[in-house]
Amino acid sequence: MKHKSSTVAALTGAAMSLPAFAATQPAESTISVSLSQYHEADIPSDKVVVGSNERYDIEVGKFKLVTPIGADWSLTVDTTRETMSGASPWGTLYGTTGEPNLIMSGATISESRTSLAISSTRYTDKASYTLGVSKSEENDYKATSYQVSGEWDREDKLSTFALAFSYSSDELSPTDAVLYGRVPEANQRSRSISGSWTQVLSKNAVLQSGISLTKKDGYLSDPYKLLDVRPDEKTQWAVSLRYRHFYDNRNAALHLDYRYYDDDWGIDSHTIDLSWHQNLGVRFQLVPRIRIYSQAEASFFEAADDYSLPRDQPQSSDYRLSGYGALSVGLKAIYKLPAWTVSLSVDQYRSDERFGHNESQYEHPALLDFTLTNLGLEYRF
Amino acid sequence: MQLRYIRFKAMGCPCEIRFFHHDDAEAERLADICLTEIRRLEAKYSRYLPASVTNQINDAAGCDPVTIDPETSALLDYAHTCFNQSDGLFDVTSGVLRHLWHDGLLDTPPPSEFEKWLAIVGWQKVHRTATSIALPLAGMEIDFGGVVKEYAADATLALLSQEGVRDCLVNLGGDIAVLGRLANGQPWEVGITHPELPGQVIASIQVGSGAITTSGSYERFIRIGDKKFSHLINPVTGIPADNLQSVTVVAPKAIIAGSICTIAMLREQEDALDFLNSTHLPFLSVDKLGTCHGSLQKE
Amino acid sequence: MRLLFLVLVLLGGCETVQPWERGTLARPEMQLDSDPLETTLMEQVYESKEAASGGNGAAGAGCGCN
Repeated sequence: MKHKSSTVAALTGAAMSLPAFAATQPAESTISVSLSQYHEADIPSDKVVVGSNERYDIEVGKFKLVTPIGADWSLTVDTTRETMSGASPWGTLYGTTGEPNLIMSGATISESRTSLAISSTRYTDKASYTLGVSKSEENDYKATSYQVSGEWDREDKLSTFALAFSYSSDELSPTDAVLYGRVPEANQRSRSISGSWTQVLSKNAVLQSGISLTKKDGYLSDPYKLLDVRPDEKTQWAVSLRYRHFYDNRNAALHLDYRYYDDDWGIDSHTIDLSWHQNLGVRFQLVPRIRIYSQAEASFFEAADDYSLPRDQPQSSDYRLSGYGALSVGLKAIYKLPAWTVSLSVDQYRSDERFGHNESQYEHPALLDFTLTNLGLEYRF
Repeated sequence: MQLRYIRFKAMGCPCEIRFFHHDDAEAERLADICLTEIRRLEAKYSRYLPASVTNQINDAAGCDPVTIDPETSALLDYAHTCFNQSDGLFDVTSGVLRHLWHDGLLDTPPPSEFEKWLAIVGWQKVHRTATSIALPLAGMEIDFGGVVKEYAADATLALLSQEGVRDCLVNLGGDIAVLGRLANGQPWEVGITHPELPGQVIASIQVGSGAITTSGSYERFIRIGDKKFSHLINPVTGIPADNLQSVTVVAPKAIIAGSICTIAMLREQEDALDFLNSTHLPFLSVDKLGTCHGSLQKE
Repeated sequence: MRLLFLVLVLLGGCETVQPWERGTLARPEMQLDSDPLETTLMEQVYESKEAASGGNGAAGAGCGCN
């Protein structure tokens, strides 16, 4: 069958709302698999005082199964396995030029992480309820998390309200703790609540707004840093908007997402995601995308480790708490067959302290650039 | 896996359901729920049962709006799309025109009769909201006959599929919906009746998935003098369709295939073929001279 | 960069969309999440390399990302 005419498309669209075909629950099962290669760029050697100037290389394999069970239920199983190798920053020192330089670890041997998530959803006429558990394990970190969520449609099916709660509990057991004077065992806990409202604006546009609130407590510092003391509590919240618009004359969809994040460590950030989903014929789709990120530095951020401060006073020279921004540009190609979809994407990410909306005094030497390549396969049956 | 086969009469036609199942008791239960669903839809939309939704709506013609349930609302929404896509030819209010062309008529009715009946035809005159419908003029009628049989075939197939059946065929008077394959791995095979030679098959079609429906003037027709006309009447001119003898269409759902068949039968001359070609769906049409068109004739 | 105002402009009026007009909204490229597996991957990457997280939905089990 070649492409469907507009008449057939119109009739199909209308038929979809008939009760016999109501897609409140997945009628078919889906298996998705992805393989990804993540590579961080080396740090310029003049920024490294000691240690390797290489950074992380990570391979990620993912598998996901979504399957209907009976008439009202569905099951989702999601598993990830990643292997990583490379060095990471241990600390920051002022160098001879007065700018901060990095103390890096030696390049590590391969480490791996495995995670498994299982969730089940119950569908009724206008609502769905989901319960899920997930576990993640690597040699120095174990995490367990629970999620409960619900979704409710309004009578006209043009609006949907969703609410979710999650709780997670993590155990850290840093390697070589005694050797390097790291905390041997620690725990942290996270609780969050989120809500969203999705509204169909027209036959070609939909908008979702969301909000989330999270509280963390426990050991929140980075145990692998030489000197990293963070508060033992953190409250963070974020609001987001996601807009989708289909342009009939271009046979393409625009995605525009915005998120504002704020926490009580002094960091706030803006994230913008923009992508254009261009259909080329019936089987092929090309998606160029761009992401802009900008964050302010944490209130206790120090450009370099300060050993003169009292040991219980919060400080960290972790670049992830500095003021900086990042630009990510990518392209994804998708090939669709009736039962299969194949996709290939490449994204290039570049950090720069000049993008930060509350810049740190110095550009952090550990700001990273990475390349992420992803191959995805989906099978529907 | 055994082939289960039930034959029955529903919606005024011979019907059958074939499906593969390994368990006898379960197969019987499935056959029961299929029949229940078909009878439910038959009772709900039948013109002949006083309590049906159709009669509730028609009895209130010229009076207040009638509240309708989501399933009825969705079927009417679908009929509305058909009306738009067919430039007004597919019209569920055109049923009253059967009074114009009753059996035994010897000649064309006078213009005054046309005026009288066409005045109460027209989907564009109907008032609709998501939960109600109002027929503004007394005597106006809604007829679900153009969609409910095909919808029942799709609904029954969906029921079997949700119960885990992978291979089945539902045939309600020639509106057929299929899923999966036969035991030998071959697709379901459907024979299309020859419009001029009753009992004979003009084409045998292998249906991989989806649905196949046939509209023809050879089964249900209006006889005027010694000529046979299709029972489908043009809601604009009031004249029965007199172009194609039969149309068979393959589409993802029976309700879609059925609507395409009906619209094609109502179109005049070349418009019908142009329309069928524009859908890019496999079809087989037989015109008044017996000439066949469409990709299905090669099978 | 405060582009919040630009996004608010998109919040025009809402039209009534009839059920038979919902075909376009069902297209894969019109979903809020067209590729859930890729989204999870990207979220994990960005959350371990940046300070921000959240805004939509509940998170899964974390990792000791460094």
